[in-house]
Amino acid sequence: MQPTSSMKEEFLQKWQMGLQIYRPLIDNTSVSERMKAIKLSADVAMASLRRGTTCWSRALIQKTATEDNFLVRQMLSGIKAETLINKKLPKVMCHRKIVRRSKKILRRRKSRSAIEEVAAKARKLVNKKTQGLRNVVPGGEFMSNDVLLIQETLDYIVSLQTQVNVMRSIVDAAEAGSER
Amino acid sequence: MSNRRSRQSSSALRISDDQMIDLVSQLSQLLPEIRERRRSDKVSASKVLEETCNYIRKLHREVDNLSERLSQLLDSVDEDSHEASVIRSLLM
Repeated sequence: MQPTSSMKEEFLQKWQMGLQIYRPLIDNTSVSERMKAIKLSADVAMASLRRGTTCWSRALIQKTATEDNFLVRQMLSGIKAETLINKKLPKVMCHRKIVRRSKKILRRRKSRSAIEEVAAKARKLVNKKTQGLRNVVPGGEFMSNDVLLIQETLDYIVSLQTQVNVMRSIVDAAEAGSER
Repeated sequence: MSNRRSRQSSSALRISDDQMIDLVSQLSQLLPEIRERRRSDKVSASKVLEETCNYIRKLHREVDNLSERLSQLLDSVDEDSHEASVIRSLLM
């Protein structure tokens, strides 16, 4: 699984569209505002590649919409902008109750073999690491299922690689151009 | 082992080991750190997950850095200069 050239092309097109929306404002804003505009349009471009089919992309669009609703609506017009922005993400309550219940069950057991101890420790470590993953993947806090979390992570990483790849080429070319 | 699993209704616990193993190995293929190691070195699942977090954070930092460089380029370039039109044609 790797960023394909069609993904890169589509990202570039969408990112350019986002930057065009900012065009009239770009000349009159500060560097930091411009940086935010560049980054937000890159994020929406990346998320829209998935057309709402993944949890992380929906979460990222919602998050970006809270920072710049106008930009997101403009960039997504035609791809069900309203539903993507307003779609409710599932609550995480269920997960906590289940974890509490299973902890109670584990505590009731009187004795554990050495193997079970090791397995429990390993599982605890894996849980700690998956929790770390939930903190970096958009919408991760809503993915109580570990399998889903990792599937989403895989897709998110490939998308991030696409984003970085294209942005890097553009910035390198632009920097090279401005040095002449 | 399987009895314990079927009694609990949590989707987080009823994952087959095979599925996890497959997904974790897919993750390790994406991480440059791990892909470059010799195949004889086995990597634990928790290590892969940890490296994944680090890699994602690294990618985020890179996006921030690239956005900053680009915004400075747009700033430092003279409105009517040749460089400005080069950048604009690249981006727009």
